[in-house]
Amino acid sequence: MSAQQPMNPSRRRFLGSVSRAAAGGAAVSLLGAPAILHADAPKARVVVVGGGYGGAIAAKYLKLADPELRVTLIERNPVYVSCPLSNEVLSGERNMESLTFDYRGLSRRGIAVMGDEIVEIDPEQRFVRGKGGAVYNYDKLILSPGVSFDFSSIDGMSAELADSTLPHAWKAGPQTLLLRRQLEAMPDGGVCAIVAPPNPFRCPPGPYERAAQIALYFSHHKPKSKVMIYDAKDAFSKQGLFQAAWKEHYGDMIEWVPAAAGGNIEAIDADSMTLVGPVEDFEADVINLIPPQRAAELAVNNGLVDDSGWCPVNQQTFESTLHSDIYVIGDAAMAGAMPKSGYAANSQGKVCAMAVAAAINGQPAPAPSYVNTCYSILAPDHGISVAGVYELKDGEIVSVPGAGGLSAADADARTRAIEVQFAIGWYRNITADMFT
Amino acid sequence: MTTRCPTPERRLSQRLRQTTAARWRPRLPSQAWLLAMLLAGFALGAQAEGVRSAAMLSHTCAGCHGTDGASAGAAMPTIAGMDKGYLVKVLEDYKDDVRPSTIMGRIMRGYSDQEIAAIASFFADRPWVSTERPIDGELAYQGELIHQQRCESCHADGGRGQDARSPRLAGQWGPYIQYALETCRARGESCKKRQGAERVMVLEDAEIQALAHYYESQK
Repeated sequence: MSAQQPMNPSRRRFLGSVSRAAAGGAAVSLLGAPAILHADAPKARVVVVGGGYGGAIAAKYLKLADPELRVTLIERNPVYVSCPLSNEVLSGERNMESLTFDYRGLSRRGIAVMGDEIVEIDPEQRFVRGKGGAVYNYDKLILSPGVSFDFSSIDGMSAELADSTLPHAWKAGPQTLLLRRQLEAMPDGGVCAIVAPPNPFRCPPGPYERAAQIALYFSHHKPKSKVMIYDAKDAFSKQGLFQAAWKEHYGDMIEWVPAAAGGNIEAIDADSMTLVGPVEDFEADVINLIPPQRAAELAVNNGLVDDSGWCPVNQQTFESTLHSDIYVIGDAAMAGAMPKSGYAANSQGKVCAMAVAAAINGQPAPAPSYVNTCYSILAPDHGISVAGVYELKDGEIVSVPGAGGLSAADADARTRAIEVQFAIGWYRNITADMFT
Repeated sequence: MTTRCPTPERRLSQRLRQTTAARWRPRLPSQAWLLAMLLAGFALGAQAEGVRSAAMLSHTCAGCHGTDGASAGAAMPTIAGMDKGYLVKVLEDYKDDVRPSTIMGRIMRGYSDQEIAAIASFFADRPWVSTERPIDGELAYQGELIHQQRCESCHADGGRGQDARSPRLAGQWGPYIQYALETCRARGESCKKRQGAERVMVLEDAEIQALAHYYESQK
């Protein structure tokens, strides 16, 4: 996916005018959507950078909270490809088209959707600058930039290798398809190794759902093959439910090697397809190395992260504690007890949008409410979930005691099958919430 | 002015009177000032306790039930425009584990009864949105026959009628209705308390499928 893909003509025309205006040194006014052409003096300009599970929602709910706001959503890709459910592409249960969305629905809501990659933030002059030089002024800026990968922490690994031979596929897109092709090309009896990252990282149950989806493919087409998970951790999300389901559906096909058993991968030799652990080395036919993560480069390069590599934010509003009038939501932000998940980003986008609208209208920040719901599909008739309900306590996002938790360990087959239907319903609704 | 059993709001307003009012007293008639500070005290008290608005609470539901409760399908029901009393009852039953669920019980235990009432009001006030899917006329007709015979007395007007005991069914997602009926039937005894449950118990798989399709066909 790249910014060079064709855009619709009106967007291209508009970008041209922005670039010309920027080149001429003129102040850039963003008249991206017909709905705001007549609005000479908007109440306030809110720029949202990143059109995924957090940013698309923040833009939409800003407009719902206050239709008079001029909302601009800046996204570098012309279409969005969903990470949630993309593991099903690996098993062949789903295609990429079903994961792909455009921004026309948000444009129809009066949001100016701009195809651009933001490379610079000026928190003093309050503007962001795109790769081509276009300048976007803001009164409030919301960033939902996602994660970046720390390739250097694993010796021998690089971004280039991820694109060519060792896909992480942790941002759905070309690498998802590359990994699928590698699995298809692998001989029966081969080994697919998943290297699972240390906490915190995007989608905590993701590597373990992926193991099941790959095993689902193997069980139909390459039954003598194995899925090995080499983990930087000694425990993982929904662990008991995962391990029981792996055994039930795939027998001994999936094997998990925790850090304590030498699973913490320190280096990789791409030529010999060998993973180097602290105790022993492991060879594999397909390697899906999911690197350690931190906030996206945009946040790192513009002074929005602390020593942890993530963005510290006010937990009630998601305003950065490092720069005022800049808000960070989604995986890049540190949000107390909330995991880095799509539903968490959705929930944070709404809390942030309401806080920004309140601030612009001179009102106090509203009392927040947050929820997370994550489904994992382990077989066509076996779904599991984790839910969390959160509240603000002493300035921190904490779980509401007694609420949330996992699917029952002893649930019957009918319940497991229904949870797959709910996972698909979750996906249909959360993407409709974002893009319509 | 009383000092008995001060509520938090009252304590706060008293503190405000003791501090701020002392400074400003000469500028306002005392009675008007007392009233103003009482109002300010209540407002501040509410904020400090963090009362969450109905919209703030309800937006967290949209990720699964659709924006403003209009579901994009298919196992997730539309909850917009439902009877408020029905929504309160269902959500409280989830919370108290009276109504079994895969996930709703886990979520509803995070909310107070007042918050549940606020959420129910929010969705009851949203417009109902019927599904727009192709309908199999023959299957819907089979369902209509069953409906007229066994369901119309409570789910009146082809499932468009609703009250605190009977949800709207017309235009609801068929797969959700099918799942809800099958769940009730599978639970047997523990579902029988619910209105109409005896009639659900005797339905065949094909009848449930036809009924669910009929209700979805009604807009």
